[in-house]
Amino acid sequence: MKIIIIGAGEVGYNIASRLASENKRVIVIDKDQDAIRHLSESLDIQVITASGSNPKVLIDAGIKETDILLAVTDSDETNLVACLMANLISPTTKKLVRLRNNDFYPYHNRFKKENPHIDTIINPETEVVNTIRKLMDVPGAIDVGDFADGQVKYIGIRLDSYSPVAGMRLIDFSPKFGDDRPLIAAIIRDDEVIVPRGNNKIESGDLLYFVCETQKLEQTLKLFGIIIQPIQSALIIGGGRIGERLAKILEKDSIKTKIIESDLDRCHYLSEQMDKTVVLHGDGSDQKLFLEENVGQSDVVVSITDDDETNILVSLLAKNLGVQNTITRIEKSSYFPLLATIGIEKVVSPRLSAVSSILQDIRKGKVLSDISIFGERGEFIEAIALETSDITDRPLKKLHFPKGAILVCIIRDGQIIIPSGDSVIKPGDRIILFALKQAVKKLEKLLTVKLDYF
Amino acid sequence: MRWQFVASIIGILLVFLGLSMVAPLLVSLYYQDPSRDCFIRSIGITMLAGLVLIILSRKQSRDDYINQKEGMTTVALAWTAIGIFGALPFYFCPEFTNFTDAFFESVSGFTTTGSSVMTNIEGTTKSLLFWRSLIQWLGGMGIIVLSLAILPFLGVGGIQLYKAEVPSPVPDKLTPRLSDSAKILWVLYAVITLVEIIFLLGGGMSLFESTCHAFTTMPTGGFSPKNASIAHYNSAYFDYVIAIFMILAGINFSLHYQLLRGETLAFWKDTECRFFLGLTLGITLLVTWDIYGSVYTSFKEAFRFASFQVTSIITTTGFATADYEKFPGLSQVLLFIAMFIGASAGSTGGGMKCARIIVCFKYCYRELFKIIHPRSIRHVKINNMVIPDEVLRSIMGFLALYIALFILSSILLACMGVDMMTSFGAVAACIGNIGPGFGTVGPTENFAHLPVMGKWLLAWCMLLGRLEIYTVIILFVPEFWKK
Repeated sequence: MKIIIIGAGEVGYNIASRLASENKRVIVIDKDQDAIRHLSESLDIQVITASGSNPKVLIDAGIKETDILLAVTDSDETNLVACLMANLISPTTKKLVRLRNNDFYPYHNRFKKENPHIDTIINPETEVVNTIRKLMDVPGAIDVGDFADGQVKYIGIRLDSYSPVAGMRLIDFSPKFGDDRPLIAAIIRDDEVIVPRGNNKIESGDLLYFVCETQKLEQTLKLFGIIIQPIQSALIIGGGRIGERLAKILEKDSIKTKIIESDLDRCHYLSEQMDKTVVLHGDGSDQKLFLEENVGQSDVVVSITDDDETNILVSLLAKNLGVQNTITRIEKSSYFPLLATIGIEKVVSPRLSAVSSILQDIRKGKVLSDISIFGERGEFIEAIALETSDITDRPLKKLHFPKGAILVCIIRDGQIIIPSGDSVIKPGDRIILFALKQAVKKLEKLLTVKLDYF
Repeated sequence: MRWQFVASIIGILLVFLGLSMVAPLLVSLYYQDPSRDCFIRSIGITMLAGLVLIILSRKQSRDDYINQKEGMTTVALAWTAIGIFGALPFYFCPEFTNFTDAFFESVSGFTTTGSSVMTNIEGTTKSLLFWRSLIQWLGGMGIIVLSLAILPFLGVGGIQLYKAEVPSPVPDKLTPRLSDSAKILWVLYAVITLVEIIFLLGGGMSLFESTCHAFTTMPTGGFSPKNASIAHYNSAYFDYVIAIFMILAGINFSLHYQLLRGETLAFWKDTECRFFLGLTLGITLLVTWDIYGSVYTSFKEAFRFASFQVTSIITTTGFATADYEKFPGLSQVLLFIAMFIGASAGSTGGGMKCARIIVCFKYCYRELFKIIHPRSIRHVKINNMVIPDEVLRSIMGFLALYIALFILSSILLACMGVDMMTSFGAVAACIGNIGPGFGTVGPTENFAHLPVMGKWLLAWCMLLGRLEIYTVIILFVPEFWKK
């Protein structure tokens, strides 16, 4: 299995690292010597310092015997040309492309059918905008995502001390809430991921991951003492592509939106594009501007400039001014472990979400999604139960689930089934599992699926 | 620095070394020679030491990532340990009276130097001679490269070890995965060795001697089971066969790989290879011209002996068919200089490596060019690839260190009462992993008479040369040990 990745940025690095650790033959092409050296020193891959859209470079890299080409540079043009050339040289290679500019969107289907025959187009920024929108509405949630085509959601929330469930044991959930009880997949306490059992207690300050049907989200959150209040006003710092798209969506939802952008030309462009949104020209970390604009009164502050440090600073500043709900864009994965200690928890990362959508897209077989949480310490796995595996057609209590793994729920014909000891998984069911990193391997064995790629 | 981690890798390598001693044990059983017990004892001690290290360091959770510092330390210490334990079969054998000599012979073997302290080679057992050849063969392509190829125990961290053992001026990986690259290198290496054995057998050499010679030609080692080295056979066929295989061993192995994959012009397209072949031919012709008439009366003979001596020295093998100390001055100077140039990067040869010499000259030319055109922007290129400034600096640093260490070691050796020509010759031959030097350590003499301290110094020089200076010298930099 040979994979060529064009672009050694955050996206390229993270994908290469995942694939190399799964013993794939990976070649990374990038023009930037420093980025390339960093990669070649820390990963077992081959590197080429050159332009990935250059046909000669692609031939030298062995595109003809390559299974997948991932064009994930920050430049849409480079990515497209690389695919175009790859399509001419080696039509059988699968091509995945990251395209960020929205203006290409109407042509995505034609790109797939006509030249350059791209197999998958990934636009993580659209996804990120959607994630930000979801996060805005759920004040306590720090992570939101979809399973089963959006029918089921997973949510990560930080538990307040006045939450009604604080101090409860999981075993007491069932008598109290009946079938509406939340399906808790993981408890994160003091930097430790706990796969819960019946007698685990929930404490205030815990970070809980749970799964629920999308329709019942509001109801379930209420159990935790979180009431969804539609936001009235939002402040966006950073008027880049994500900022622009988010502002447009918010405008549509009649939310009072302000957007701060430091580049004057960009401000002019934004104000041409928007009707109601207030476009402010200024620096995101300017405290005076914050006070002037009464930032403390905003329901939510979203800092999504291109600069991680500015974003962190802005969020801290906003928190200081009394804004509870802040959403921060962070790209450097090395920052994630530090964030909880400074109180920044709602984080979005277009690049990392690109990584997970690309990995999901090229995963083979019966694993539908595989989402890492909490710095890759644990994983949500959505899979289809295979007839050949040991987990089907027998009650759960007779199964030997690996330590550190839990079956969160079963989805059969669009219905969520809360698993109990007597539940039986039928072949073809979708199952959602949660596992600590060290238990993933054993879980794969149990499911008789490999987290492999095509 | 995670010492437990370093220790566990060294432990694994020692077990591996112990296993490789089974081969000479089998030879010993076949010939029923008295070395059997030496090998059994050596295997026991080496395996035991390896297992103890592994068990002691087992608690450490194996985090895959090794940083450069740990990689270098591991490799430098592993090679030292391998030198020590590889010396055991020599030490237990009656020909060796002290450990210094055994260690010198062992390090000389593993580093593919080929300098020997044995005065009567033919007088010892076949199994010990086989071990002497085998350690050169193992050391030539690299023990860590071999373990990366067959034991997938290192994963990501392997890169740092690989880079510390095979420091290439221009980084080059054959395939995306390190273990695949290591496998390709070793298979190529083994196959070419096998071809050489067949050629030598075809010329009438016995299987044992063919194997020993092929095992020491391909790593550019130079140990021979004969007292008089290749001169023993006095055959033009053997001279030319071995000379050709020495040249093959001195060419970057990735070019062999390209050749096998159908790039027929691979050797010609590569700047370094052109330079290496051209230089070898040039020096051969000069030496032929120099010795034709003065030493040999026929041109054919002059060319045959010139080509063999020159390839033997420039590829840093160290076989001999003639005593070049009896050649006129020009030939000796040329051979002495060839000792420093060495073979290609990515080959099994030692020395400074042709690639570094080319880069150095191109760099100097750039400096001159800049004086003429002060505002010019000019890159140093090899094979149309720009050499980054960082690599340039590292290469210049390497050359400076190489010369500095040559000077320092020569002075130290001279301090021990060794004469000038011998001091220069011995150090140049050891740091370049060649084998025979000049003065009293020439191609017909050996290193036995040197003082004990001198032997330790030269063994250290061999390790410096084999691991290309940085990996070893870094351990002697005080800053390295500061927390």
